Parts: sequence; structure tokens; C-alpha cells
Amino acid sequence: MSNYFNTLPLREQLNQLGVCDFMDSSEFLDGVNALKGKKLVIVGCGAQGLNQGLNLRDSGLNVSYALRKEAIEGKRDSWKNATENNFTVGTYEELIPTADVVINLTPDKQHTAVVNAVMPLMQQGATLSYSHGFNIVEEGTQIRKDLTVIMVAPKCPGSEVRAEYVRGFGVPTLIAVHPENDPQGKGLAQAKAYCVGTGGHKAGVLKSSFVAEVKSDLMGEQTILCGLLQTGSILSFDKMVEKGIDAGYASKLVQYGVEVITEALKHGGVTGMMDRLSNPAKIKAFEISEELKDIMRPLFQKHQDDIMSGEFSRIMMEDWANGDKNLLAWRAETGETAFEKTPAADVKINEQEYFDNYTLMVAFVRAGVELAFETMVQAGIKPESAYYESLHETPLIANTIARKKLFEMNRVISDTAEYGCYLFDQACKPLLADFMTRVDTDLVGKNFNEGKDNGVDNRKLIAVNEALRTHQVETIGATLRKAMTAMKTIKTA
Amino acid sequence: MSEPVVHITNLTLKYRHKPVLQDLNWTIKRNENWLLCGASGSGKTSLAKAIAGLTHSYGNIEICFNPNNSSPALAYYVANWFQFKDLEGQSNFYYQQRYNKQAVETTATVKAELESFGGKHALEIKELDRILAALGFSALVNSTLIQLSSGEHKKLQLVKAIWLKPQLLILDLPYNGLDVASRQNLNLLLDEISATGSQLILISNDTELPACLDHFAVIESGKLIEIEADERSSYEIDLISDRVPAFINDFAIPKTDTEIIKMVDVNISYGDKQVLKNINWEVKSGEKWVLQGHNGSGKSTLLSLICGDHPQAYANNFYLFGNKRGSGESIWEIKARIGLISPELHWYFDPSATVAQSIISGFYDSSGLFCDPGYTKKAQADELIHYFGLTAYQNTLMNELPLGKQRLALLARTIVKNPELLILDEPCQGLDQQQTRHFNQLVDELCSHGTTLIYVGHFESQLPACIENRILLENGAVKTVENIFSIT
Repeated sequence: MSNYFNTLPLREQLNQLGVCDFMDSSEFLDGVNALKGKKLVIVGCGAQGLNQGLNLRDSGLNVSYALRKEAIEGKRDSWKNATENNFTVGTYEELIPTADVVINLTPDKQHTAVVNAVMPLMQQGATLSYSHGFNIVEEGTQIRKDLTVIMVAPKCPGSEVRAEYVRGFGVPTLIAVHPENDPQGKGLAQAKAYCVGTGGHKAGVLKSSFVAEVKSDLMGEQTILCGLLQTGSILSFDKMVEKGIDAGYASKLVQYGVEVITEALKHGGVTGMMDRLSNPAKIKAFEISEELKDIMRPLFQKHQDDIMSGEFSRIMMEDWANGDKNLLAWRAETGETAFEKTPAADVKINEQEYFDNYTLMVAFVRAGVELAFETMVQAGIKPESAYYESLHETPLIANTIARKKLFEMNRVISDTAEYGCYLFDQACKPLLADFMTRVDTDLVGKNFNEGKDNGVDNRKLIAVNEALRTHQVETIGATLRKAMTAMKTIKTA
Repeated sequence: MSEPVVHITNLTLKYRHKPVLQDLNWTIKRNENWLLCGASGSGKTSLAKAIAGLTHSYGNIEICFNPNNSSPALAYYVANWFQFKDLEGQSNFYYQQRYNKQAVETTATVKAELESFGGKHALEIKELDRILAALGFSALVNSTLIQLSSGEHKKLQLVKAIWLKPQLLILDLPYNGLDVASRQNLNLLLDEISATGSQLILISNDTELPACLDHFAVIESGKLIEIEADERSSYEIDLISDRVPAFINDFAIPKTDTEIIKMVDVNISYGDKQVLKNINWEVKSGEKWVLQGHNGSGKSTLLSLICGDHPQAYANNFYLFGNKRGSGESIWEIKARIGLISPELHWYFDPSATVAQSIISGFYDSSGLFCDPGYTKKAQADELIHYFGLTAYQNTLMNELPLGKQRLALLARTIVKNPELLILDEPCQGLDQQQTRHFNQLVDELCSHGTTLIYVGHFESQLPACIENRILLENGAVKTVENIFSIT
């Protein structure tokens, strides 16, 4: 198997990278009809598998679960999830041959094995659905020509997919049809019906391609989503301890701060987040984030380049073949950091304090979101795709840090994201060493406004606001967020 | 014996920037037990929270605890609303999550929760069993918090408070969601702790109260007024009074013999715990039912099946509106025919929706509004907003309103689409008695046009007049099904 993207001529690479259509709600008037009466078999029953299945069934579709024999015999969690919610469960051999649509919701790394096991059992003309394109694009798996290959990727954790559905809404979803596998031309209709079944059509659906999804998803997760949040958290914690701030307080500020700060990002974009700061703090955060962008831009570009050329997936798959040696070693290191090992103190930090005492993180988030977005767009990814893979997902990852710090974040995200996160973190820390020597507790640990009057220069403030508000991530974000009306407010800290 | 225990002078308090209490004065002397009653929104909860130190206020609140009393020197507040956290300290639970088997193990068990509470306050574990038994809670100690029904959550709060026996115990609407037996036993327990060192401030509009209450008060225009016990009812205000909006009577539902609900040997269990046992029940179009049973008897689970909310519906032999569940219908097709209100729906409702949005969302069966409803739906909602006396609040966010007002908005939401089947699960929680009577009259009026009704209410005296059938659950099984005229 060779990297699918690299087999394409430049014209076709650009063509597939550029698939990006924010779909109008009128495109979903046919409801679930394209899948009505069809037999949907989900492979895997983790958080995505179970919750998507619950939604699809509640939308009137026929859903069952195919699990590996060992999972069934060992009564593993996936088996329990499915049977205790009264789904039919069977082995691949029992269920796949009768399936009209096989929905692969196993972890990325198992895709090759799962697809190799499933494909020979699938009936002529059936559909295979993915929620991530790595297997097709990077590993270059070839799917039998009679099969239709689609992707439906809700841009939220599985529990959120369910929570939003039962309250009558949904989560933003990305769909795609693989151009090499759409023999009957039914792929798009089925992907749309699937979206209606999970409720995604109510929250905004982006038509993308396998290529655009993979190249933007990898970029987002490695840089702003996981990489920079990890680097920023560790550097912030270490700085506070170095400057004599109570370690328990520092631990709590870092653990929950990023969630509180990015909650503002979720509702109002970078502008909304920056507006939570006082005027002097906002100007300061703007200035240091400009500096951070200059420092980190080459690193962001290197990540994007390695993703586009396939270099990133090549070295990561080498590590897979090597029994995850690097991944496991780096994971263990993360578990040993001082931040990870210092329990959060039992102190009350109110919501505004997370902004006022953690201006540095606001600057990190702004720099990271804008850089990731800009780098993706420069590489040929469309702004809508770039938005989802940068700004939109940041609060979701921040939520995992709030739950159990970085180790938890790395446990929850895919191995692919985790591998990229470590690569970024290792390269980013030395880049920021000099910058961090100039950071003091007014930016992290203490209230930035303390002992300052609140005055600012009018023209300077206007210029800063102008720069923030006219950035493309803000203009596209305003449009996309409109479709996600009445987003649920996470109860922070 | 008559030194003041709580001494409040010139208390002024704002709730979300609106003045609620204005220069309020109140003295509570040793051994006095007070009832605080009156209209929804008059400031009862705000005052209670101020005394417990849970909210910011201006003025002076002095509490003199008795150093010779062995009970904890605390002003302990039991909220009318409850919140619990998962094992990671978060409380982002979602509607009906407790029926999703995968989610159950993410919260602590009742036992662990109680042990941690007892440990924190150095309480004797042997005292606990009796309290648990009196409130019918013993069997639940191994359940996880997320599995509890709303009435059971309420009880857990009460169990803790009574076990703690603080010197000042403030209970805000403690009877909401409690069954008859638990209410009576709660009153006995409250009498008992008041005789041994606890003083009570009880917020309630109910009539069955602990005997130890000896002082009564209402809040009017931000001030506290002491009243006589028999004056209570005259201090209720009249909110629902207009004629029923015309559109409600526009389309009568033809009475037929079709079965709206048919359950054949329905069973629901979680692991070893069987929650519903061999339920057989038929509801025909136009029938009016009351569903009763003790807390934890399975009422909410039964209703969640009917509303399309329970995943185990698919494994049971059960028909809704003539179709077998799991025969290709979507839950949204089912919900479109049902008007539902329940404690759980209220608990998980989108707090950041305005009153008007909340009411209109009833057309779409969503929690919060996600689309432009258009003129007709808005106009219908307007009529109900007026009818329920919510005109001044229509653009206010739900979480900025007191519970009683939130509840009125959700009641309007329940009927706004004039559904075929009304499921009213303790609809009048948080309302005063007059509001309850008016709401029940409205239900009677609605149901006279062929609407089918299932009503859950723990207070016999507070049921709509139209009820004609009763189904009684006990420990997950049907105990009796009867025509209500036969019971006297």
C-alpha cells in the first residue's frame, strides 16, 4: 500500500484538498430515507460506536453491532455497551454479509486489520463508512471497486453526540465520499441520511473529502489542539512554581484554566475570548501572542509540510511497526511531569480569575488557533475545514485536560494525535525557552490588572481590536457558529 | 430561653440585578420553628440562601449558635434544586443519560457519597440506618447517583440534612417529588430533630407540615410579615386567571377506540436490578389516567418508555400510537404527538434559553430553540405567555428566573402544540396552591377536547378533576389498575 495522496497528480491533489461546501439545511429534506430499511452494522462499540448507534436507532434505522469473537466471548466493554442497550450483537462472519452499510468506528490504528477482515465478507454493492480518512489517504488502503466508501465524522466526543441528539439538536459533522469508490453514485445521499440519523444536520454539515479531512485533522491535533495546549500548560506551571506561586494553586489554574478560557472561544471566537480580558491585559496578550506567532510559525509550517508529504505518517507507522516504542516512552514522560504529579489545591478560583491570572494561556490559544488556521489555509485547505480543525475543537480538547490533566488528554485522543502532540511539544519547548525567561507572574499566576490603572491608548486599542476581529478565522467562524445556535454551555470549573 | 438565634436587620438583596428583599427585618428566637410561604418569586429562596451565607446581601445577619448544644453549629440549607457530580468532579450530565447503560458507572454510589458526607462532619454511621429506612431509601445505597430519580435525589439531600442535625436547618420546598409515606415520615423526623436541638426554617406552600412549626411568615414587597397559621391561603397570588387561549380549543381530537399505549409484559432491568416487572397496560385514546407509586417504584422509567427516551424500549413488546416500538419509527415522530413535562425535563432544560424560546421549543420537542419558528407559532406562544402571566419575563433567560416561574414557562411549552397525549409528571412542582388549582383546571379544559392524559402527582388533593383511571406501581410492578370512581 502506498500513500494515496502522493499517488495523485498535483491537479487532483488540489482538487481534493479544496472540497469544502457548508451545506444548506434544505439539502437534508429527504431525512433518513436513503438508509431506511437498510441494515446498518457498526464495527466497534466504544463511545462513538455506541452513541452514534443509539442515535441512528432512535431515528428509526436498523442498527446492529459486529464485534470480534474475543470481545464477545470475553464479554468486554464493547460487548456490554451493545447488549445492555438491547442491540443485536454478532461476529463479523454473522453480521457483515447481510449488511447494506458497514460503519467502521474502531480506533484509527485498527483500521487496516478491521478493513481487511470485513471487506471480503461484505456483499456486492454495499457501503463502507469511516469517521476518519487516515486509513484510505495515508495508509493507502484500496477498497473493492463495487463498494461505496463514505465518511461521516461528528466533530465532538461520543457522549456529546448523544447528549445533543436527545435534547433535539446535534453536533457539527463532516461528510465525504471517496471519489475512487462511488460506483452507484449513492454515497452522498447515504452520508446525508446518516447525518440526519445522528442529528448532525441540525448543527451544520461540511461536505469535505477524505484528503482534506485527513490533512487538516492531523495538522489541527498536532499543533493547536494537543501539542500547544500541552506545551503551554507545562511551561505555565513550571514558570509559576519557579516564581514561588503555590504549586497546588498553579496546578488548579492550569488544569481548569484552559477549559474556562476556551469556553469563551467556543461562544465568541478569538474576539470573544480576548474580550474577557481588561483592555490593558488584552493589549498585552495581543502583543505577546504576536511574538509567539513569529517564534512558532516555522514549527507549524514544518508540521504541515510533513503532513502533506506523508513524512509524518511514515515515521509514525514505523513506530507502530516497532511496537509503539516512542509513543509509550513519551506517554510515560508526560505522566512524570511536575504538573501531572501536583494535585490541584482545594481553592476556589472564580471564572473571571482564570482570565485575569492566566493571560499567558489566552495568548497561547490565540497564537495557536490563528497560526494553525493560517498555515492550513496557506497549504490549500479551505477556511471552513481549517476552522473546524483548529478553533472549533480546541474547547473539546481543553475539556479533557480539565478532567484529568494531560495524561488524560493523551489517553482520550487517538494514538495518531498523541504521537503528533509529542513531536510538537518536544520541538516547541526549546523554541520558547528564551521567550519564557521574560515571562513573569503578572502573565501567569497573579492578576494582571493588580496595581495598574485601567487606562489604555485609544488608537492602540482600536488597532488591536481591528486586527483580532478581521482575522479570517473570525469571519468564517461567525458564519459557522450561526449554524450551531444554542450551543450547550459546559459547566466549567 | 428567648434570646435571638437569627437576627436580621435591614437586609437588602438583589437577584440578577433586580431587587428582591428590601430592608427586611426578622428575629428568630431560640426553639422557634418557622414556615415561610407565599408567592413564587417573592424572595423566599433568596432569603434562605442569605441566611445560610450562600449568596451576597447587604445589611446584617447575625446567627448566635448555642455553644452548649451538641448539634453542629451550622446554618445548613437544603436547596429546592439539586446538583451532583461525577467521579471527576463534573456535572455535565444530559437528559435521560441515566438510562444509557454505559454512563452509569461514572458517578459515585449513594453509599460512598453518604460515607464521605458522614466522614466530613464526623457523624455516627449507626444513626443513618433509621433515617434511610424512614425515607424508604435503604434499598438504594448501592445505586449510583446518576441512576436516582428526581424524588430520590431530593431524599438523599434530606437524609444528609437530618443525619447532620444542624442547629439551624433551612429546607426549601422539601416535599417536592416525595411520595405520601415519605412526606409523613419526613415530618416525624423533623419533629424529632427539632425536639433535640435543631431549629427549622421551612419553605413550603403545602398543608401537611411538621407539628413543631409554630411561627408563620410571608414575604411581601421585599419585607417579612409574620402571619397566623390560618392566614396562609390569603397570601397566594393569582397568576393564571385568563380565559384559555382560543387555539387550544381549535382542533378537537376525535375520540376513537384506538390504543395509544399498549404494553405487553414489559421488563426493564440494569444488570441484576429489575426496575419494571411484567408491565401490562393499555391506554385508549381520550382516557385520563393518574400514575402513582412510591419514589423509585418505576414511574419515571415507565414514562421514559412512552416518550421514546429509553433504549430498552427496543427489546420489549410495546406499542405506541398503534405502531410497535422499533418498527422503523423515529423518536421524533413519537415526541411530536406528546406534550411532556417532568422533573427531569426541567432539570436538564437549556438554562440559557429565554422564556419565549423555551415555550416555542415545545413545537420541536427540543430543549432550547434552534430555528426560526415563523409567525404562527410565535403568535400561539404569545397567547400562552400572556395566559401564564409571563409577559414581563418573555425575554428573560430561564436561569435568571425563580423555579416557579421557570415551571410556568415549561408548562406553557408542554401544551403549546396542543398534543394528542399529555404526560404531566409532577407538573406543579414549585407552584403555589392557587397556581396548581388553575393549572389543573386548564388541564381539565384541554382534556375535554379528546386529549389523552397521564398525570403523575403525589398529592391526592391536587389532581385534575377529569382523571378517571388509576394505575399504581409498587417496586416496579403494577399493583392495581382501577377506575378512580371506585375508590373513595
